[in-house]
Amino acid sequence: MKWATRRHCHIDRAACAWLIRRFLDPEAEFVFVDDPEELPPDATPFDMRGVELSHRGGDCSFETFLRRYELDDPVLWDVARIVHEADLDDDRYDAPEAPGFDVALRGLSMVVDDDRLLELTGPLFDGLYEFRKRALMLGREPA
Amino acid sequence: MLAYRVPRKPSTPRIAIWRRLKRLGVAQVLDGLVALPLDSRTRESLEWIADDVLAAGGEATVWIAEVASLSQERALATRMAEAIASEYMAIATEAEAAAELEAWLRRRTLARLRRELHRIRRRDFFPPAERERAEAAVAQLAAALAEAVPR
Repeated sequence: MKWATRRHCHIDRAACAWLIRRFLDPEAEFVFVDDPEELPPDATPFDMRGVELSHRGGDCSFETFLRRYELDDPVLWDVARIVHEADLDDDRYDAPEAPGFDVALRGLSMVVDDDRLLELTGPLFDGLYEFRKRALMLGREPA
Repeated sequence: MLAYRVPRKPSTPRIAIWRRLKRLGVAQVLDGLVALPLDSRTRESLEWIADDVLAAGGEATVWIAEVASLSQERALATRMAEAIASEYMAIATEAEAAAELEAWLRRRTLARLRRELHRIRRRDFFPPAERERAEAAVAQLAAALAEAVPR
């Protein structure tokens, strides 16, 4: 399937793209646009104004995806806590990891294009998912 | 710049929207008209808030605006700097007062002040002189703690 979002991805869009590839559509193809007018008709848009899979009632787009596709994996919701705070910084969750992720992603977006950004952040989110999964199972941070 | 109007009732979304604008450090131009210096982040933040205003049954439009008179632009920037300066002063005052506290309470205060300072810096578009004073006061508190409590 084809998915579309705004150019110059930051944490919310990078995390959504990872979620799509890993949990919804392994064959996903991503298109980046500057303006909603340029959206290809066959693509599902996300994290853009006025589309369903976007910010919604204080949720970031990653959380909207989890609700919309009924992904109730607690590890994904734990990742959502970090994505939400790195994106919105509104103190809804306690996420001390968020400022670090925010800086890492913003820095990366300065030196690589969107395709490369998604390539590089995929393994990063894989690792975050694994780390938080073990942390939730152990009840403490893994060594 | 965001022009918006949120229905008076219910008040919960109205207050939530106001809090988010405040956290961004907006300059209030008029009732229902707020402004931020233009960059990709500030623009996106205002666009998301505009959507929330619409979802709350209100009206909102985002504008890329320019102040026609330089002196008015300066006045707006000065007002923003003054508002943020008073936040920095509060941090400085609290950090200086914390010198009297017991070590464990000082350490806790230091952690909280560092977080608050970080947050204020994020919405500080026209850094005032008070910023250095607040940073110095917090650094001083950290230095005193490092000396007093060997680990």
